[in-house]
Amino acid sequence: MSTTGDSAQPISGPTESGKESADWQALLERIPYARHLGLEVQRGDAGVLVHLPCCEALIGNFMLPALHGGVLGALIELTARVAAQSQDAETRCPRILDSHINYLRSAKARSTFARADVVRQGRRTSLVQVTCWQGEKSKPIASGQVQLLLPAMVAQQEDRHGH
Amino acid sequence: MTKPNRAQHSNAVTTAWQFTEQVPHGRELGMQVVSVDQGQVCMRLTPQSWMFAQEDTKEICTSVLYSLADSAGGLAVFAGALELMPIATLDLRMDYLRPASGDQALLAVATCRHLTDEVAFIHCDILSEGNRELLATANATFMRNTQGQQFQAGGRKKEGA
Repeated sequence: MSTTGDSAQPISGPTESGKESADWQALLERIPYARHLGLEVQRGDAGVLVHLPCCEALIGNFMLPALHGGVLGALIELTARVAAQSQDAETRCPRILDSHINYLRSAKARSTFARADVVRQGRRTSLVQVTCWQGEKSKPIASGQVQLLLPAMVAQQEDRHGH
Repeated sequence: MTKPNRAQHSNAVTTAWQFTEQVPHGRELGMQVVSVDQGQVCMRLTPQSWMFAQEDTKEICTSVLYSLADSAGGLAVFAGALELMPIATLDLRMDYLRPASGDQALLAVATCRHLTDEVAFIHCDILSEGNRELLATANATFMRNTQGQQFQAGGRKKEGA
């Protein structure tokens, strides 16, 4: 995890990654689509990772075969969402405003891993950079930036359209 | 879902249409190609409760809209180019304007804005079927004629450009 900006929350270091990964798993399990994809949190050398197990239903091209680009989109967006939420002092549920994903290498039909870097955690928004890889971490297959909105506390439930 | 005009299309569009409907992830999400008309692709997705973003709301997870835009965008490359060749998504940018309600089907309308020998620029709108409210917009760049085995359609990933 890294951060910039003076209003950012304290960032967990590797020593806290056990608790952090438990928190992440709990947040992921609240998301029906994340459960459907089978996303699971793992502890890696560099901190918390999200693992996407491969299955036939995730294939986008059966001739190669390759994962569907939207599956990588989901892995990146959901990892960003959990990273932003876990950094928030009130663990507010963020709303994804936009995401921009670059595809760097072919995504084979195998396990994929994602790692999040919180670029900036502010009071109202969070910007998260997510990198995905399969075999070698040094050869990312996709990377994306996700901008999230942290709702005002009182308005979190009622004012879902408030923008 | 009727497909009134598939037979009138060029072979390339017909093949890409069929390929798109056979993609395992598209089938899993229940994506259907509604029409391909003058370079404009329309696809439809009926939400299910496992696609939601939270237990307590019926909001569809943004990533489902993302997958729909990627698939519709890939087919729009062929609708614009009228030629079969392997393609690869270079990048895709989504803006989520409104939450997508789970009690309305999603429609994706994708067009090829510009085509060169190497690149296709795609725009896609995601709308709510009932009130036609704009839920999200996508802009994607696809690489054309990537190295691949035979033909890959529907926004599939191939080794870089």
